[in-house]
Amino acid sequence: MNKLFALRKDGTAIDPREKGSVGRTIPHDSAIGHVAGCAPFIDDLPRREDELFVGFVGSPIASGTIEAIHIEAAEKVDGVVCVLTAKDVGEHNQFGPIICDEPFLADSEVIYVGQPIVLIAAETSDALKRALKLVEIETVAAKPVLTIKEAVEQESHIGPRRQIRRGDPDQAIANATHQLSGQFEIGGQEQFYLESQVAASYPAEQGQLVVHSSTQNTTEIQAVVAEVLGISMHQVVCVCKRMGGAFGGKETQAVIPALMVALVTQVTGRAARIAYDKDTDMCVTGKRHAYLCKWSVGFDSDGIISGLKCNYFSDGGATADLSTSIMERTLLHTDNAYYIENFEASGQVCRTNKPPNTAFRGFGGPQGVAATENIIERIAEHLKIDAFNVRVQNLYGIADRNVTPYGQYFSSNHLPEILNTLASTSDYENRVAQIRTRNQEDPLFLRGISMTPVKFGISFTSKFLNQANALVNVYTDGTVQVSTGGTEMGQGLNTKIRQIVADEFGIDYTNVIVMPTSTEKNNNTSPTAASAGTDLNGAAAANACAKIKKRMADFAATLFASAEEGLIPSPQHIVFENGCVRDSRQPTETIAFADLANRARLERIDIGSRGFYKTPGVDFNRDTGRGNPFLYFTQGAAVAEVKIDRFTGDLAVTRVDLLMDIGKSINPGVDMGQITGGFIQGMGWVTAECLVYDERGALLSHSPTTYKIPAITDVPPDFRCEMFPNNDNLHTIRRSKAVGEPPLLLGVAAWAAVKNALSYLPRTTDPQLCLPATGEEILRCISQQTAGVSST
Amino acid sequence: MRNYSLIFINGRKHVVKGRDAFLTLSEFLRKTLKLAGTKIVCSEGDCGSCSVLCGKNSGENNGQEEPIRYQAIDSCIRFVFQLDCCHIITVEGLAEEPDGKKLTKEPCADQLSNLQKSMVDCHGSQCGFCTPGFVVAMTAVLEQNPDPSIEDWRHELTGNLCRCTGYAPIIDAAMQASTLPSPSLNQRYPVTKMAEAVRLVQEDTIQIQAQDFENVMQTVACPRTIEEAVEFLAEHPDAKIVAGGTDVGVQFNKGSQQPQFWLDLNRVESLTKLSVTDQAIQAGACTTWTDLENTVETVAPEFHKIISVFGSPQVRHVGTIGGNIINASPIADSLPLYFVCDAELELTSKSGTRVVNINDFYLGYKQLDLHPGELLTGVNIPLPGHDTDLRLYKVSRRRDMDISTFTAAICIERSGDTIAEARIAYGAVGPVVLRLKQTETFLQGRTFDLETMQAAGEIAVKEITPISDVRGGQDFRLQLAKNVLVKFYHEMMTEGAIA
Repeated sequence: MNKLFALRKDGTAIDPREKGSVGRTIPHDSAIGHVAGCAPFIDDLPRREDELFVGFVGSPIASGTIEAIHIEAAEKVDGVVCVLTAKDVGEHNQFGPIICDEPFLADSEVIYVGQPIVLIAAETSDALKRALKLVEIETVAAKPVLTIKEAVEQESHIGPRRQIRRGDPDQAIANATHQLSGQFEIGGQEQFYLESQVAASYPAEQGQLVVHSSTQNTTEIQAVVAEVLGISMHQVVCVCKRMGGAFGGKETQAVIPALMVALVTQVTGRAARIAYDKDTDMCVTGKRHAYLCKWSVGFDSDGIISGLKCNYFSDGGATADLSTSIMERTLLHTDNAYYIENFEASGQVCRTNKPPNTAFRGFGGPQGVAATENIIERIAEHLKIDAFNVRVQNLYGIADRNVTPYGQYFSSNHLPEILNTLASTSDYENRVAQIRTRNQEDPLFLRGISMTPVKFGISFTSKFLNQANALVNVYTDGTVQVSTGGTEMGQGLNTKIRQIVADEFGIDYTNVIVMPTSTEKNNNTSPTAASAGTDLNGAAAANACAKIKKRMADFAATLFASAEEGLIPSPQHIVFENGCVRDSRQPTETIAFADLANRARLERIDIGSRGFYKTPGVDFNRDTGRGNPFLYFTQGAAVAEVKIDRFTGDLAVTRVDLLMDIGKSINPGVDMGQITGGFIQGMGWVTAECLVYDERGALLSHSPTTYKIPAITDVPPDFRCEMFPNNDNLHTIRRSKAVGEPPLLLGVAAWAAVKNALSYLPRTTDPQLCLPATGEEILRCISQQTAGVSST
Repeated sequence: MRNYSLIFINGRKHVVKGRDAFLTLSEFLRKTLKLAGTKIVCSEGDCGSCSVLCGKNSGENNGQEEPIRYQAIDSCIRFVFQLDCCHIITVEGLAEEPDGKKLTKEPCADQLSNLQKSMVDCHGSQCGFCTPGFVVAMTAVLEQNPDPSIEDWRHELTGNLCRCTGYAPIIDAAMQASTLPSPSLNQRYPVTKMAEAVRLVQEDTIQIQAQDFENVMQTVACPRTIEEAVEFLAEHPDAKIVAGGTDVGVQFNKGSQQPQFWLDLNRVESLTKLSVTDQAIQAGACTTWTDLENTVETVAPEFHKIISVFGSPQVRHVGTIGGNIINASPIADSLPLYFVCDAELELTSKSGTRVVNINDFYLGYKQLDLHPGELLTGVNIPLPGHDTDLRLYKVSRRRDMDISTFTAAICIERSGDTIAEARIAYGAVGPVVLRLKQTETFLQGRTFDLETMQAAGEIAVKEITPISDVRGGQDFRLQLAKNVLVKFYHEMMTEGAIA
């Protein structure tokens, strides 16, 4: 079918009948580079002649003090240029995105295994390898805090306890017909971006340096490098072309490697590069927080919840990082999709001797949702009714029961329709009946099914982060470069911005290129996070385009004005489409966009602009736990069916149906990739991925040999993903909705399906299935549950 | 005597000497040749990001140049010295009009292969870091099978991890590519010129020396015959033997392996002889898992089932039956079968050959009845008769591309309802794979029913000493040790019901 039309360089057909590129599945802007192996990542860049190899030696213990650091032997290695410790860092050896409590290089105290202590730069990788082996660090170990339980006992806390409360949950629970309570353990998760942490730097004039960092947050790198090196922000340029995955793991944690190379460049005046290997990366960087949730719930005989209390403790690791903000999002997502009149969610971040835990897709939301969905399954088990009924009855209403516990009105609620549609398209009811029968008959396998919804709040809960700027430059041949503070980690942000900008000017998207993210072009940017990358940066880019178009339209209006035909110049009649500009009153006469751009320059009209956007109306008071933290909610639901080997616990997710409301998609191909990718990542978290530490606090599962993310055969053989079309998100650019994080939370359906499967077994006790539901955990539950019950 | 490896990369000849020959292929590509399209993530063959296509150029056979059989391999755990006379195609060599040169600029869409185009169209790449590995592995699939099904694709891509896409778009791309023509790599890289160069040198003995990063002299010998191999081994009994290298490569990358002498078996053709009959599998020690996977399905379906989840395609293409035995891991996937079949190992040294029953071969954790200078050259696995019920079990955190948490082989001969003989071997429950003699004795002569098998489980757990480690807890393993016997019973009954 492509033959009818001319082809673009990316192989897609140019169909002049199509108006604009927004809404169409166009390829990722780096796709050709990706598949041909010529899209460079930082460690693929050619080395500069003088470039140094950088590595570090970390703490051998999780907690204690440094008695002596022996670097003399390392310094003597041929080819070693410098060996640096905290002594070589200026007075600012600490940083932190919320609380300034994280050391760059450990000085006297060490707080987690692998914490960087000694930095080495060498001419060759061989010399670096030799030198690293020769560093000796003498320490005196203290007893580390390694689990949430230990931290709770010792009151080892980070930040204050936070709470969101409405009504009187204690009273409501006490008065309810049924009460349940329990403890729920939720495991952490490694981001497992394929490209490990990496940074390269080189010196520039006037004391400047340029840092290439695989970071979601160029401004943070710029600011921290300036601070720690004792220079000014205008002396640091941070550039990020692309990341080989990030998922939150490069929102703050790209800082340390960037500091390492920046310090080496400052000390030596030479280019420097560090690329962590995967084991090091996994051992020393933070992950999704493990949680402990103590909960109690009161409900009536239909399963309607009258009161809910969830009290969380999270494993924050050794320093604050983003943990308090992550806990906040947990509290804000404990309601998930349900209206709960009497509600209390409270949370405390715990300090442990592990690498500082950090952002990971969902940012605390998944833990809150998992906690609530566990409770829903428990209610259903208790009442011996299907959990779907419990869910539907507790859903937020449209006309009433539509205010969240933190006081935000939940508008544009599509959940009832999404759940009912999905129940029907997934044939939910019949499959429940089939599963019930098969579970009675099959001695080898146990099956379960569950539907879980999600309502994910979009916006940063820290108000000031909800802003973005963009730089749009139009050139005299009609092509355009766009730069924003948004970073490309594979999510397709650049592709969407390209489409938005192309449509603003009515030109083909191949005439727009999105440039590497750089603090030189976009200052004071927010991290590309909270799913809001396109909402913020796309809107800022459109704002810049609007300013340019205004000037071009004013100018074009004078060109189309015709005294003969009585047409006065009228900028509001100027239309940009199909690569041309015209006056809608004279549809036959057009000027090519490129011509207009060129003529505008000759007339001394500025055809470049900065744009700015700030999210309107969001505000949240974290002290009172009330406000409107979110601009809107991305919604969806998933049905997962699982098959469990009764004797090994082996789990297979056999069928999954997803339905996601993501507004009007800017690029359905990109968005569908976020949905499938997010779901599978969430499924990995709830069913398979296990962080195992030894008794010293060192991570044992530090590579893909021992840490198992989903493989291709773990994708459900029957995997159906649909979008729920709607046009009512008036708040955002082109009526789209954020899609990065929400699908991850749908992975919880797979866990809930396991819980459902276990409910078919006779039981003497409730085994309290933990998350993740690994084969080992499932077999523990089966064995514990059926102990004493005669086997069939 | 030759002091270099001759290898071809994207059609271009390279003579590799000295230190470069001791590099992993991925390092050689990225650092020496500046071909940065191949990515390194895990350095242990678990993620497939470093996948490249590898085919051995056999020079000629009866005057005919044979087409090269290309397979995806993990370049991060393959040493350059293992690749003599091989042609490596990297992601840079897949776009059209290969001229043997490094791709210096981004190709246009019409220069991409149909597979690459499908990946672009179907959004098969997001961050792009795993993409070159996927593109290479997928190209290899199409090279062997022009019309793969979804199941084929899933099975063949278990060696490639992607964290972004959830694989669904990659599967879409794969299925789209299945419908499009894909010109064979032998057309795009004609074998003739490479074969000419190979013929001149392929009979040479190879020995390469170089200083490692700590200035220690390393020597590798790449002999052509078993005689030459055992000769070198007699001189250097502590030489590290490399066949597939899928474990040695990992140990090398992680710094625990710095041998001075290496013996590479990749050129010894007599070690890859394979004979498969109803009665037995007789395999040279360097028979790859892929060759076994392709031949044992009908005679040993249970073995085939285990092989199909053994490592990944990239690992199976180079990993060898002998390597899994000599590596002596109590969690090796293949071992329990050999234990219940009384497999025989052929050990060869300068002074001759002896045969050892595998049940007597493991003396303790990683301790073998293997004399200095001895080389495992062959494995003979007598297969149980059709009237014997055999089941092999592998429990792991993930179904594919994972190391076992627990393995078992249960082999029961019945006469009517009575158990005539039972042979049971468990792995990952102690320092070596174990035959459960007491359980076997208990079962013999008893009625094959649920009660018997449950009682057998109680005996089994007393015979084993599992530990807790990163792959699972002691309780889990003990529970599995009980449960697989009951599972076996139900499987036999279910099958009986179906039959």
